[in-house]
Amino acid sequence: MSRSTGRASLAALTARLRSLHRSILAHEQSESDIREEFEHHIAMRTAHLISEGLPPIAAESQARVEFGHVESHRVDARRARGLRRIDQIRVSWIDVKLGFRMLVKHPVLTLASVFALAVGIPVGLAPAHLAHAVNAPLPGDTHNRVRAIRYWDPATVSIAGTSYEEFAVWSRSLSGFSSLAAFRAVTLSVSVGNERAEPVASALLTGAAFDILGARPQMGRTLNMADVAQGAPSVAVIGHRLWVSRFNSDAQIIGRNIRVGGTLTTVVGIMPDAFRFPSNEQLWIPLHDERDTGLLSGMQVLVIGQLSDGFSAERAEAEVRNIAMPKTGDAIELQRQQRLRVEVVPFGLLYLGLPRGGLAALPEYYFVQLLMFALLLVACGNVAMLVFARTATRLREIAIRTALGASRSRIVSQIFVETFIFSSLAAVLGVFTVDWVVRQLNLASIAGLPAMPYWLTLDVTGGTIVNAVILATVCATVAGIVPAIRITGRAVNQNIRAFSAVRFGKLTSALVIADIAVAVIAVALSFTTVRQMLDLREQQVAGIPAAEYLAVEFRLSDDVVLRNRDEKAGGLTERRATVQRALVTALSTEPGVTGVAVGDVLPLMEHRSQSFELEKVSNGANVASKWVRTASVDVDYFRALGQTVVTGRDFTRNDAENADGKIIVNTPFVDRVLGGHNPIGQHVRFPSNRQRTGEADVDGRWYEIVGVVRHLGVNMVNSEHGEAVYFPVLPGRLNPMQVAIHVGASPLKFMPRVREIAGALDPDLTVSHPVVLGDVRQSDWYLTLGVGGALTLLAVVLVALATSGLFAMLSLSVSERTREIGIRAALGATQTVLVLTILRRSLIQIGIGALIGLPVAAALNIAVAMESQTSPVRALLIATALSAGIVGAVAVLSCLVPTRRVLAIQATEAMRAEA
Amino acid sequence: MLQHADLLPGNLDLVVLKAISLGDVHGYGVLLRIQAISNGAILVQQGALYPALYRLEHQGLITSEWGTSDHNRRAKFYSITTLGARAFSEQQTSWTRLTDAIALALSAVPQPTVQAS
Repeated sequence: MSRSTGRASLAALTARLRSLHRSILAHEQSESDIREEFEHHIAMRTAHLISEGLPPIAAESQARVEFGHVESHRVDARRARGLRRIDQIRVSWIDVKLGFRMLVKHPVLTLASVFALAVGIPVGLAPAHLAHAVNAPLPGDTHNRVRAIRYWDPATVSIAGTSYEEFAVWSRSLSGFSSLAAFRAVTLSVSVGNERAEPVASALLTGAAFDILGARPQMGRTLNMADVAQGAPSVAVIGHRLWVSRFNSDAQIIGRNIRVGGTLTTVVGIMPDAFRFPSNEQLWIPLHDERDTGLLSGMQVLVIGQLSDGFSAERAEAEVRNIAMPKTGDAIELQRQQRLRVEVVPFGLLYLGLPRGGLAALPEYYFVQLLMFALLLVACGNVAMLVFARTATRLREIAIRTALGASRSRIVSQIFVETFIFSSLAAVLGVFTVDWVVRQLNLASIAGLPAMPYWLTLDVTGGTIVNAVILATVCATVAGIVPAIRITGRAVNQNIRAFSAVRFGKLTSALVIADIAVAVIAVALSFTTVRQMLDLREQQVAGIPAAEYLAVEFRLSDDVVLRNRDEKAGGLTERRATVQRALVTALSTEPGVTGVAVGDVLPLMEHRSQSFELEKVSNGANVASKWVRTASVDVDYFRALGQTVVTGRDFTRNDAENADGKIIVNTPFVDRVLGGHNPIGQHVRFPSNRQRTGEADVDGRWYEIVGVVRHLGVNMVNSEHGEAVYFPVLPGRLNPMQVAIHVGASPLKFMPRVREIAGALDPDLTVSHPVVLGDVRQSDWYLTLGVGGALTLLAVVLVALATSGLFAMLSLSVSERTREIGIRAALGATQTVLVLTILRRSLIQIGIGALIGLPVAAALNIAVAMESQTSPVRALLIATALSAGIVGAVAVLSCLVPTRRVLAIQATEAMRAEA
Repeated sequence: MLQHADLLPGNLDLVVLKAISLGDVHGYGVLLRIQAISNGAILVQQGALYPALYRLEHQGLITSEWGTSDHNRRAKFYSITTLGARAFSEQQTSWTRLTDAIALALSAVPQPTVQAS
């Protein structure tokens, strides 16, 4: 296409859009212009005729006659502007009333349709709603001006650390931010008087943080710039919940001293419950500016700031990027720093470690959104089938209206309005029901978090409702207009003549078959998921009597600025080591305690995944397995858990002290990664192992396998995929540390004694998350329950849709074929033949659906059974039984009433009624 | 006086475009101008003129603007666009070619039949 032709096409398109815009959006003005122009024409013609000698009245009369029918020309004029289709769409109040009447007239179809869309619409909305919640401004940031500054590593798709020094440089240099603040979350021990210290989720903040966040205290004051100055007295602001739980809502708390991490600190303010920055913290203390003492050297912080007036986030980011930071470290570190990108993003993205753009920037997001829309489309398809069935019962009415001059668009728009009424109803019902359910659920448990961040709210907003209505409109368009067009198509003329029946097409059959097949698969999946988790719950891991172990998390304050100011990082590690040794000794010597295992993670807990490489791959080794679960453990870890090494040897003190790269693997690692070959002496390395705690913190080094232990439970979601590697670490390297204490029956009764021992050892040693080792999977259980529940709900929706669809089709079929049934009955057809005449088509659809769904469901169950080494025959039998149950339920529910109606038809009455 | 010629469907737009291409004009003026340039041979039904005008405007071939007519009344004046001028030129060429071809065909006289050997 030449350039001039392209320009011409563009000009023509622009003209058409402008014309349409004017005619639709400025409708009144456009109509008024047409009228005025016509009147002008008639006036000019009248004047012309008068000038030719006609009297004025006769001239005007003739001018009007010559002009023709004004209204017709007006309609033609609008059509000439491309508005014919739009003009045919008319929505009246009667349509709305009719729509509500139809809801009541067909209650089963209404219930099924509303139910389907009430599930489908919230499901379709969920991804965008969550993505929006993550990007939402913090509470108190009314003008959405708070942003975080961070380093982003595109290679690892993760946040890189920001040092306090970098924060200081930005604070001095940036004009795009009116103020900046640094913070870091820590767990600190808090005690009052002689009471025992308790761990409190806390945050260290620089002076401007509260102002940036727009946070006002409930009592007292917040922290300010003077509090963070070097040598300033130690002060703290406490949260509402801490104030209530720990200080009994004491109004005199302001000005009193408490002990925070061993330091006497004055409480200067109480924050309202709505403020728990950065996530769910309850104590805030100043992050002192002590760069000149070297105490802040290398400290990692997070940075937030308030954009200056007139600065957008993009402009502020451009400014931050122009500030050069000195790069230090070895070649690998320099390379890493080179690829880092500084970004200005909403706080949620910083906190959750999401890339710029939030959830919507993740490929997984689009996959999930697509999946959700596909589900909604399936629901719409089913509802379309129901609308089709319902509309088919009104053929006589449609035919009469058509004969009386109603256009096809008019009838289609009426059916659209009817569909829109229940899709809107479903949208509102669905959104508020889901909102209520979400409020009842412990989302934090499902997400595996102690609590949800205070700023992340999934409440229904005005935007959610608007999106729901948009989706309801789309649903009504798909589910209402498509069947309406079909019904009002070529069949209408025939209907006028004979009120003949409409036939359900192949698409309808395909929908019913797909519903049954997917329902069968969904039920099998939900069964498999729940059963797998039930199995896991009951599972005893490798002979560890998990019900006899008390699992506790111990943590020593790791913040150097909080501790005695002359204490450096090295001293802190030594102090931790001393505490750990003393703790293990004290616990081990307690009566009834037979073992104390220390690690960064314990059996049955979710172990961290890490990529690895084998130095040489023996024949038969599984080279595809590139990820492994890892744990850093004390050298006595396995002995304390009552585990003996299957092959090779256990860790020795030398392995940890010499840091010469010795590791122990588990039996799944040997079986799946090494193909059952002898692992001893094999070498493994971990390319991304820069963050590992303790001695193993060397990038790219080779580790030698010295022993093999049994599978101790490292992967909660899929226990059988539990290839694991254990690293030995010296005492003092783990903080927090997970400790499993073997105390026998009723482990939680030992907890008070644990607190006493910890309190006596070090006031800064906090004890948290006490749980019986066998119960640590609780949060995972919730997750499974959620997944299983969702799948079951999906199955229920599909079964309901298939049932109601079949019911509608059968009911219609019985209504239309009453006369035929009557004749057949009169000719001596048996009741079985009569029923089969009507049910045959539906039963075939159910059968095909089952035939498609059953093998898939069985295959899934067999696959899971093979994985968990349970009997595939049993799984197959269960899957078959479940599928048979679903198919039977659908068949019985959908066919029962129509069958009874067929059997109730009396030949003479049927023929008389149709005559 | 010339007999009135019936306009073939679709040709009204061409005639209207020609009338407007001669200068900005309001609706009634278009009517008068068509009569004038066709020596009264083409009579456009008055009300039918406006759908043609709106269609041409919708297609971007003409544009309109409210102004004041000779009788001091508010009137809508139409003018041809660049796109319209080009479209008119193309349609005119096409029309001329067609009428020439038809005229040629109609003026044909019987030819002696050539016998195949």
